[in-house]
This record gives sequence, C-alpha cells and structure tokens, in this order.
Amino acid sequence: MTRQERNWLLVAPAGAWFLVMLVLPLSVVLVFSFGERGPAGGYVPAFTLEQYANLPARLTAFKNTLILAPLGTLAALLIAYPLAYQLAVRTDPKWKTILLVLVIVPFWTSILIRSYAWIFILGGRGLPALLEAIGIEGVRLIYTPLAVTIGIVYGYLPLMVFPIYVALDRLDKRLLEASSDLGARPFRTFLQVTLPLSIPGVATGCLLVFILLMGEFLIPALLGGGKVFFVGNALVDLFLQSRNWAFGSAVAFTLIVIMLVTVTIYMRLIARLRLGRDDAQIM
Amino acid sequence: MAPKASFAQYAARPQAGVSATVAELRSVSKSFGDVLAAQDLNLGIARGEFLSFLGPSGCGKTTALRMLAGFEAPSSGEVLIDGQVVNALEPFRRPVNMVFQSYALFPHLTVADNIGYGLRQRRPRLPRQEIAEKVGRALEIVRLSGFDRRRIWEMSGGQQQRVALARAIVNEPKLLLLDEPLAALDRKLRKEMQIELQDLQRQLGITFVLVTHDQEEALSLSDRICVMRAGRIVQVGSPQELYDHPNSRYVADFVGTSNFFEGRVDAVEGGRARLVTASGLTLAGRASAGLAAGTTGCLSIRPEQIRMTRAPEPESQAVTVHNRIFLGEHTEYLVRHETLGNINVLTPRQAEQADRGFETGETAHLAWSDAAALVLKND
Amino acid sequence: MEDNGHISKRKFMEELRRYQKGSVTRRHFLGVTGLGTATAVLGAAVPGLRPRPAFAQDIGDRVVLATWPNYHDTANFDAFTDATGAFVQVNVFGSNEEMLAKLQAGGSGWDVFVPTNYTITTYVGEDLIEPLDVSKLPNYDPAAFDPRFADAGTVDGTLYAVPKNWGTTGFAVNTAHDGGTPLATWKDFFDRTKTDFSGRTMVHDYQLTTIGNALKYFGYSFNSVDPAELADAEKLLIEVKPHLFAISSDYQPAMRSGDAWLTMCWTGDGKQMNSDMPEIAYVLGREGGEIWSDYYAIPKGAPHREAAYALINHMLDPAVNAREVLAHGYPVADANTNALLPAEILNDPILYPAQELLDALEFGAAATLTDPNRAELLARFKSA
Repeated sequence: MTRQERNWLLVAPAGAWFLVMLVLPLSVVLVFSFGERGPAGGYVPAFTLEQYANLPARLTAFKNTLILAPLGTLAALLIAYPLAYQLAVRTDPKWKTILLVLVIVPFWTSILIRSYAWIFILGGRGLPALLEAIGIEGVRLIYTPLAVTIGIVYGYLPLMVFPIYVALDRLDKRLLEASSDLGARPFRTFLQVTLPLSIPGVATGCLLVFILLMGEFLIPALLGGGKVFFVGNALVDLFLQSRNWAFGSAVAFTLIVIMLVTVTIYMRLIARLRLGRDDAQIM
Repeated sequence: MAPKASFAQYAARPQAGVSATVAELRSVSKSFGDVLAAQDLNLGIARGEFLSFLGPSGCGKTTALRMLAGFEAPSSGEVLIDGQVVNALEPFRRPVNMVFQSYALFPHLTVADNIGYGLRQRRPRLPRQEIAEKVGRALEIVRLSGFDRRRIWEMSGGQQQRVALARAIVNEPKLLLLDEPLAALDRKLRKEMQIELQDLQRQLGITFVLVTHDQEEALSLSDRICVMRAGRIVQVGSPQELYDHPNSRYVADFVGTSNFFEGRVDAVEGGRARLVTASGLTLAGRASAGLAAGTTGCLSIRPEQIRMTRAPEPESQAVTVHNRIFLGEHTEYLVRHETLGNINVLTPRQAEQADRGFETGETAHLAWSDAAALVLKND
Repeated sequence: MEDNGHISKRKFMEELRRYQKGSVTRRHFLGVTGLGTATAVLGAAVPGLRPRPAFAQDIGDRVVLATWPNYHDTANFDAFTDATGAFVQVNVFGSNEEMLAKLQAGGSGWDVFVPTNYTITTYVGEDLIEPLDVSKLPNYDPAAFDPRFADAGTVDGTLYAVPKNWGTTGFAVNTAHDGGTPLATWKDFFDRTKTDFSGRTMVHDYQLTTIGNALKYFGYSFNSVDPAELADAEKLLIEVKPHLFAISSDYQPAMRSGDAWLTMCWTGDGKQMNSDMPEIAYVLGREGGEIWSDYYAIPKGAPHREAAYALINHMLDPAVNAREVLAHGYPVADANTNALLPAEILNDPILYPAQELLDALEFGAAATLTDPNRAELLARFKSA
C-alpha cells in the first residue's frame, strides 16, 4: 500500500460519514427544491425556480426566526453564564458533579413532555393562579412570546451552560489571584480576566443554541399557541400538512444558506474579537 | 560565595522616620481543615532585604508567602505590613506584588498590557502617558524593550519570567513576593536569572521575599534565609551563619552537603563535644546550642573540610576510595570507612596536582580539624 | 418483536387513557410536532411463544392496523386473536396527510387502515387502495348503513372502504362566560371572539376546519376554493387573530383550565369535556360546518390480505362494534349496531345532533384538503 493509498484509507470513514450524513440529504433537499408539488402533494421532478420565486410568502416566518434566534440565544446566555460561573468557580468540587448531573437530568426526558409540563405551569391554573393568590391578577403567560422565551431558555440552557462551564473550569485560578494581587477588585477581575477568557465557551454555547434555534418549531408551537410562526413551523406545515415538498425544500435550503452565512460572519467576528485586543482592552 | 550584608547591618541603620521592619509575622498559624500548614511563625522582614523561605515541598513556605500576599488569612496570630495588622485586608488592597511560580500571565493580553495591568487598576486613574512611560521603563529594566506588542505565547520561558517580574515591579510594591520563580527554567537560564534578580533587587531597593526549595538558589541570592520544616521555622540567618552554624542536623543537611556520623554524646564542655559511635570510635567537634551529654547525636563534617592523605596522620581514619568524580576545580571522592560507612570528600585542584589524586580501590587516610566538625543533637 | 417502534400494551393503554382524559387531542397528537408516527402493539402475546390451537381457517399469525389514537376497544382485538390466532399490531397516526405519505412512500406493511372520507378518492387516484371483495365480509350489511356515511367508500361504482365511525366539527363554549347570551352560529363564534371572548378563543391549527368555518361565517361552502370567497375568509381570520388565545388543535387543556372559553372542537373532545365539565357546551354552527366519516380499507399490497378481511369482518359484527362505541364515544352509522346501544347514547345531542343541524353540515372534499391556495392562506394567517 502506498502512502497515498493509506492516507485515503484514513480519511475514508470521515469522508463516508460526511457523504451519508451531510452531502446526500442536502443534495436531496436541493434537487427537490427545483421540483414541483404533485396534485396530491409530495414531489414531482421538474426544473423550475418557481419555489424560490415563491419564498416571499414565508418572509414573516424568516423575519420572526431571525429575531427569535439571536434573542433566544442572548436570553439563554444571560441565564446560563451566572449558573456556569457559580458551578465552575464558586462551587465546592465535591458538589460539582452532582450539580452538573442535575443540569443534564432534564435531558433524559423528551423535550415534548417537558414543554407540556410548561403548558401547565404557565397555564391559568399554574403560575398565574399563584400570582393571583398573592394579589397580582390578570397575568397571562401561556401562549405569549414570553412563554416561548421561557421555554427556549429552559430547553437550551444545558447546551449553553456546558461550554461556558468548561471554559470557566479550565480557567487558571492563579490568573484571578494575579489580578487581585495587582490591585483589581473582584468585579474588575471578572471583567478583565474571567469574562475575556471564557469567550471561547460563550462563543461555542451561543453557536450551538443559535443553530438549533434557527430550526426550532416545537416550543413556539406548544408554548406560543401557534400565533407566532417560525421557519421551523412553516416547514412542519409544508411537509406534514399541505405536503408541498418542493416548496418546503426551497424554504429549508434557504434556511440552511442563511444559517451558513450567519455562522460564518459570527465565527469571523469571534476570531477578530479574540485576536484583535492589541489596542482595545475589554474595558 | 559573595559576602552579604547581614540583617544586623540593616537593623543598625534605620532610616529616619521609617521603620526598619517592612513586614512581620507574629505567632502566625494556619490550618487547612485538619492540616496544620504553618505553626507559630515569628519573623521580621527588613526593609530592602532579600529574604528566602527555604524548605522541601509541604514545609509551609508557600503558605507563609500567600499570607503575606493576602490569599490566605492566618488562623491565628498577626500579619503586619508597615506596622499595620493586615490579616483581613484583601490582596488588591495590599502594597505587595507577587511573581507566581507559573508566572500567571494573562494570555489574552499583550506583554505591555500585562505589565501595565496593575497600573490600570489604580484609582484615581493614572494618565495613559504615565502608564506607558512606566511600562516602557519596566520593559527596559527586564531587557525586553521592543517586545511590548508581543503575545505571551510568543515568548520563551525566560522572557515570560521577565514579563512576570516587570508586571510586579512596575507597581513599586513594598514587598515583592517570588514563589519559586525560577523553577520552570533550565539550569543555565536559572543561573542567569539569579544574577538578574540580584541586580534588580539592588537597583530597585525593593524588599524581595523568595520561596524556594533550591538551597543553592537561596544561598546565592539571599541576605537572610528562613529554613522551614513541617510548618515551623527551624532557623533564620545569613547564608554563612546557616552554613557554618546550623542549629540542627536538618539545617546542616538542607543547607550545603555534609557527612553525618551517628553516636552517643559522651561529653559537652566549653563549647566542645565528644561523640562515641556504635563501633566505639571517639570523634570531637564544636558543640551546637542546647547539646546535652548522654543523648544521641551526630557529628557533621563538610566534604571540603576533610583532608585526604596517603600516609596516616594522628587520629586519621583509613578508608577505601570507591569512586572519583573530576569536577574541574574540585575532585569529589566517595570513600568507604569500615564502620562510618560512605563519606564524601571534596579536594581542591591544587591538592590534586601535588598528590596526583587517588585511584579507585586505593587506601587513603582522612583527617579534619575538630573546629571544622560540629556535634548536633538528633532531630 | 421485530418492529422496533413498538411500545408495550400496557404503555399503549396508558396513552389511550391519557387521550380519553383529554390532555391531548387526536388530530393534534404530535401531528403538529412531526412526531406523529407512534406505533404500538396490541395483542395478548408474542406470536410463536403462545401455543396455537387449530383454527377453522389459517389466516396467518398477525394483522397490521393503521388507525387513530383512542379509537378502539382492545378487548375486541383480544377476542379476534382468540378466534383466529392472528394478533393485531396497531400503528397510530396523527393525520390523514401522514397516512397518505407513508402509503405513497411504499412498504408500509399495513393490512388495514382507517382513512377519512375525503381522502379515499386520492387513494384510488394514486392506486394505493384495494377494491373490497364483499363475499369475504359477511358481516357487512349495506342496507343497515346510513348512505350519507357510507357513500364515500364507493368510487366509480367500486367498493373500496366500509364505514367505521363518524363525527362533526363544531365549537365548544364555556357557558359560564357567555353573559347569558348563548352562541349558536359561526357568526357568533367570530363576532363574539372580537368582543366578550377576546383573548379566550382557540381555532384549529388545521386549514380544513379553520378556513372552512370562517367560510361558513359568510355563508359560503365549507369546501370553497373560490379565490374571492377565500379572500373574505382570510380577511376575517386576520381580523380575529389579535383576539385569539391560540391557534392549536390541542384545545382541551386550555378549555379545562379556564384559560380558553371558546374553541373549534371535534365531537369526541366535545363529549369528553362536557362529561367532566357540564358548563362546557358543544355547539354545531347553525350555518353548517364539517361532518366526517372514517372507513376501514385495505391498502394495495397488504401482506396479510386474508387476515385483513377477517379483522374488518370482525369489527363490523354489531356486537363488537357496539363495544367499540362504548369505549371511544364516537357514533356509528350502522342501524344494527345502534339497536344494541343504550338509549342515553342514542339520545345524546353531542353524539347524535338534531337532524336539521346535521343537514346543514358538509363532508370535506379531497380537493379542499389538497388545495395549495388554502394551505398558503393558513400560512399567511399564522404568520400574520
């Protein structure tokens, strides 16, 4: 076996994975997006740009998604960071494992069941009833944008907590001592050392949550009462209800392209943020 | 070994209005759970001196340093800086800076931003210009001018070491604490840095407190050495005092190398003592403080204090040469005595030339003056 | 068991009870969530582990049924297995669209499925459905069936499907909140949503019923695909949207908790809520609305065709069918079965509404369901 043959053999498994899991499905979506809808739904082979020309019909869904995904990511980040910080920096090591497991435990149950639980918590007999008991009346939670946000933060919290936790846990604690030794008060140490050094974890967490949020449909459908329409919901309707596979594929492919573009821009920004601090301090 | 100014000299010339003692530990103890890391430490640190804490790992030297820095609060006793009790004072409020063992440089900042970090924390804020000037001067002092825009990971170990030093001294602390600062460097670089550290300390006049397990480092750098063992201070003194007058076998062993012959202390009289070994051999030497007749003890003799001859002399000991290592200026012999066991001998080059040296297997005779030997109680 | 989608019988029963308790409605059952193809096994035992007595006719060891949740009495399946040796494997679906998709994809492995009236012509057109041999269904008595609920089973003179159950689509209203003025029409439904029921109304996440009922507001056909009429319906829906509590086919939890007071509703859900909370009334809009009928049919290429006929025949036995009705609460169109049912069921106004209300109802049409313009209208409504 020549060296070249060996090299090919080594990349073969990764290549096969890439082909089967990524290239093939994407190709199917791409091909379908140039087709037409059959009279009884489904897909009829064709070559037309009609589906793409029809995209403005889902403009609102794209708009909503492009607003929700960054906002949901930000909300998850704001909740996850203090939690990860508490776990990584402030928690006694003997409790760490237990608390980390508690963060994952919800993952053992389907998101569907957990979202249903929130329907009851946020519903009229849940939190609003409790609030009424202490005199705050007329609070409506379920089927509001707030409910969707709560559901998203709840559902995606572990994905955000873990990368940040790892970044903070790996942070050399002597750097914090050094900062303190050099005269920085705890909050300034956090701003000047802890925060910038946890940026890689923050970046990873945000990326994971953002990508998944772009395709989210379950939480808006269950907790948003179907009144807020995202690309994910549009896709579910197109594939499972009106069975317009061709248009559905065009919407899906457009979503993928938007996602790739956003993620690329995001990665560039993060790379610049991490390398470009020669002149600009984070403070 | 360069002669050093002793603590007594500093104490003798206090500057007007400024106390000679910059920091002090008063009956300081520290425990972590059940572990006593430091017990009853009493020590004054003179303004401008270079003091080392010396001892093996776990002896409490780092704990002592961290209590000075403010990272640990003493369990009992008092830590004073400039006459003020600072037990509860946070590290960021202390006029003290530390050079960490692994440097703890900020990886996300440039060299210049690392060095200017402490200056940027000052309130009221220092003018940008002033910070830049001070950082520039610090870079010059550690001979890193022109490296200011570099990233930490682009610097070699020795350069990082100097950045860490610059980051601390730029703040002009009352105490500069160094936690095994040279441990990560290779031998040659370590030698160079030792000289630089010493020059720096003289140039700046800042009080240096060094923690090390390397006796050579402590001996060559320090004005005074504080030898520690199992959380306690064993002996404090100038390098010479410790070398020539160790108060225990532990110190004699840790500071320099020595041969020890065990036995029973037979008589102590007029600063001299006699020791009888298990095989009945009688050896004499200076008596160390607190030595009492009738106890077990040992006689300590430094390798370089032993003369080695071909012909027997009065009270000399016959030995067999087991090994010979040529060290340039010196030759080191490992010889074997019938009852005293292995003995290290260091002979200067001159003696070698006269004698042409001893070969392995040859019989030789060892002799030393009683004044060079020291009888110590067993620890 | 070879199909890895199975859940245990006990688990399936728990799920069924959950539907009966109304925490999840049938059409909503994960159809909207894309997780609709829950499969389940019913049957007293794993075939092969159980000693097989000799049967009069060997029809094989199993029959695969694709049906809706909460739609059978499992005791009837046990009896079938005892009588024939074939155990009944049940696959549960959330929507007709999914069923169609699975059959179109091929290799479903089903022997019997339960299509709704408006899909049968599509199945015939796509050549996915087997013509029925009546000689193999001795229990099928065409004369006993109300033709209104049986006609859709025959396409171009060929019998493809026999009736199972039927039902209606009306609305459920919590009468505690109607201020003494009852709602009786779809006009009431939408007008009151804009006033005293604002923020308390739910409509289905389903174009057929949501658009169809909005069309009824104007007196148009439930099945209209006329662009001008659809434009009116769209205008109404978008006007009403800010007043909606939710667009969801899962309306029971919100109605029961008191969050919602008014919702579009299917017969079975209406009956279940009314039984537990009498203040929740089930109303058929006087202008009309939807009536539907489910059928038993055999897909092309069914692997156990003999067993399929045997199962359908078994289910059509009036005694068996009556037990079904008692279990799931949906009416049947078979006079022989009705003769065995207690009076309180036959007189229940929710299950068997007054004739003049029924007369105004329309069956959904195949063209209505597959109309792309209606699908787009719903998407615009949801994203408005």
